[in-house]
Amino acid sequence: MEANPISLDDSAGDVVIVSVEGEHDIYTAPTLRERLDEALGQGGGVVVDLTAATFVDSSVLGALLDARRRALEAEQGYVVCVGETVEPGVRRILDITGLVPVLPVVSGRDEAVEAARSNGTA
Amino acid sequence: MTTVTAPEVRLSMPARAEGVGVVRQALSGMADALDFDAEVLADMKMAVSEACTNVVVHAYDTDESGVLEVEMSAGESGLTIVVRDHGTGLQPRARPGVPALGLGLPLIAALSDSFELRGNTGKGTEVSMTFFYVRERDPAEDNPIEGWEAP
Repeated sequence: MEANPISLDDSAGDVVIVSVEGEHDIYTAPTLRERLDEALGQGGGVVVDLTAATFVDSSVLGALLDARRRALEAEQGYVVCVGETVEPGVRRILDITGLVPVLPVVSGRDEAVEAARSNGTA
Repeated sequence: MTTVTAPEVRLSMPARAEGVGVVRQALSGMADALDFDAEVLADMKMAVSEACTNVVVHAYDTDESGVLEVEMSAGESGLTIVVRDHGTGLQPRARPGVPALGLGLPLIAALSDSFELRGNTGKGTEVSMTFFYVRERDPAEDNPIEGWEAP
């Protein structure tokens, strides 16, 4: 069992949820990229759920931004979500890099799934 | 009163990705002992992660196995962390296939209460970051990340 897992949930059908738990950095960023590739490869919307993430750095942001770019090019919905309370190790980097409106980042998984469904259309 | 700032914790490890998390763990332990609050600890972990990541990604040629050194010293006003390599110097050399946002140094500036970058071509690089025990200003307000656009 991995200490900081990244798991895929495709039970929503047209939106795949990539859940990121624990601390992630340059060591786990390649795995995150692979999981994001898998999620995008299913053709529908993608939600990256950072609710259970406790730390992310710029290596992770790079992976999230590259996936966002590919989603936009393929006209697939792409949204990042956080929980009601966000760990300082996640909130801080999203705030100071100004990426909340860019990724975009929303609060709540259900809202994110709906947003990923609706922002994938041309 | 003169403060002796001999490093209290000194880490040395191969400059590999898996070591960055180890440095964060050591840093958490040190910060816990010094009673830093969660927000400042988060800034510390992020800034130190970025500095260590810079060493792992940029400091050494791909066929070299270089060393990552980290020193932590508790001074009078705050905790100082030095991240050092003995690599090719300040010229960033992006490795093929390793994407980089170029956010490392702007993040360190935005998250630390003071920082210093020292290095010479061929002699390695040293980043020294200090985090005050009592923070009166938010460094992210004094050194906002500007002029950066998401790719």
